[in-house]
Amino acid sequence: MAAPVDYQRAAPDSGPIKAIPVRHPWRWVSAAVLLVLVAMFINGFFIAKIKRGNSLETRFGWGVVGEYFTSGVVLKGLLMTIELTVLGMVIGIVGGVILAVMRLSANPIARWVAWVYIWFFRGTPLLVQILFWYVVGYAFPRLSLGIPFGPDFFSFSPNDVITPFIAGMIGLGLNEAAYMAEIVRAGILSVDEGQFEAAQSLGMSRLLTMRRVVLPQAMRVIIPPTGNELISMLKNTSLVSVIAMSDLLYTVQLIYAATYQTVPMLLVASLWYIIVTTVLTVGQYYVERFFGRGSSRQQPLTPLQRLRKMVASHPDVPPKETLDEMLRSQAPFRRGGGALA
Amino acid sequence: MIPMVQAQGVHKSFGAVQVLRGIDLEVQPGEVMVIIGPSGSGKSTFLRCINHLEKVDAGQLSVDGELVGYRRHGDKLYELRDREVCRKRSEIGMVFQHFNLFPNMTALENVIEAPMRVRRVSKADAVAKAHRLLDQVGLAEKAGSYPRQLSGGQQQRVAIARALAMEPKLMLFDEPTSALDPELVGDVLDVMKQLAQEGMTMMVVTHEIGFAREVGDKLVFMDGGVVVEAGRPRDVITNPQHPRTQDFLSKVL
Repeated sequence: MAAPVDYQRAAPDSGPIKAIPVRHPWRWVSAAVLLVLVAMFINGFFIAKIKRGNSLETRFGWGVVGEYFTSGVVLKGLLMTIELTVLGMVIGIVGGVILAVMRLSANPIARWVAWVYIWFFRGTPLLVQILFWYVVGYAFPRLSLGIPFGPDFFSFSPNDVITPFIAGMIGLGLNEAAYMAEIVRAGILSVDEGQFEAAQSLGMSRLLTMRRVVLPQAMRVIIPPTGNELISMLKNTSLVSVIAMSDLLYTVQLIYAATYQTVPMLLVASLWYIIVTTVLTVGQYYVERFFGRGSSRQQPLTPLQRLRKMVASHPDVPPKETLDEMLRSQAPFRRGGGALA
Repeated sequence: MIPMVQAQGVHKSFGAVQVLRGIDLEVQPGEVMVIIGPSGSGKSTFLRCINHLEKVDAGQLSVDGELVGYRRHGDKLYELRDREVCRKRSEIGMVFQHFNLFPNMTALENVIEAPMRVRRVSKADAVAKAHRLLDQVGLAEKAGSYPRQLSGGQQQRVAIARALAMEPKLMLFDEPTSALDPELVGDVLDVMKQLAQEGMTMMVVTHEIGFAREVGDKLVFMDGGVVVEAGRPRDVITNPQHPRTQDFLSKVL
């Protein structure tokens, strides 16, 4: 007969359990291997110098990168890239909303026109589209505003109006509209049918329902892929180099064509692209938070709010206000009344 | 007196499926009509026809003496323009099974939205009225909450306040308590009862036989797209005449 288990001995008191944790030696080994690899990577890419000609340089010419990183021409190219991105995206979003509404319209011609537009602009290369807008003046030497097939009120020559910048902007924007149309349509379709019915039963018109009820809810679905589109747009702007627009990439290409510092100059451009992408990603986080209000019981704190909370709850920093008050003052979206009221 | 709702031979099909096969009924102003029946009997579809969320295929349906969705001129019928349909809908409140509150707006914003945007009431007036209505449904302190922060019963009461904010002459309730936990049903029914006592004309599709008996002025039993039996709730419930009604009531009571 086995001795009765002495539960009292197994748990001498009801305090916290003190057990010896399981050892994980391989975790230490793998961590060490990874750290060595990271150190080698950093050294090889950024620190170690090799002999070039009769001087010592880092492998990727970080000195050159630093030299050109904030130079006037590069910043001008960056500005051009950002301008094209913003304007192209504005055209893309406005066009996309219009096309999406057309595709969901009761009018079969509107549906068909939108379908063909999306089919064509998604189906042909962006590069070709940009070139097309650049040379469109050859096909239409004069464009005029007037009665179709009748007299003109006003006419102009596309060759005078369509500068490379305009061609690039139109090309990027109209292409983007086709993609945005599908994103917006997905967003609209994701909104529960009951929302349309509730709005209609209150006497709200179709347009009002769309603007006040459907689109704000669709935004939650629309924003993440739009963030993707915005970031691809940022990099697609480099295609305007084919029409001799000096955007960021074309600018650095011009520089390395003269200096032969190919890799450092490409690093300059890449660093700027990644910086802008980071800024856009952070922006997207906050836009998503804004449109996510009401979608969960309580929004998680932003990293900034978490940091402040940490600082505020640190024993060395006596809180000036209570934590509650602080959080309330930092979370405008949780306040009753909302930003759209 | 002009009936608030008058239906004569109302038919409605979805494709090959005939959902309504000749509905005749009348609701007088101030009356509470409760509609019961098995699912698929066309109760909800009929309710949705009344504010033109569904188009009637045949028969006549009028609210407050005016045809729903059409205008008669001479002996021709003209479809109403969107704007006119919207105006008529704004005079009829509707409460849905799944509440359908706007999740992107707080309770207060839900209630003031239509008065401000459809009726062009000033914000101050709309807000004051919304607070009164939220108080009336027992949710004065929830004005700033988003629908997802509220229980089902609370959401449904906000939905009732939202409908009432348009000062409707008729309220339609489409299974308002069917999606609620049993212990939350009472709060919603209390609000509806109070509304009935204040003289609101109401049509209520429900499975709450107790509510029908206590609050209803008229009880309609629908099955297979027709009105099988109608009468005073007490009479229909305690002494149903038609075998279908007897069968149904024996199952739900």
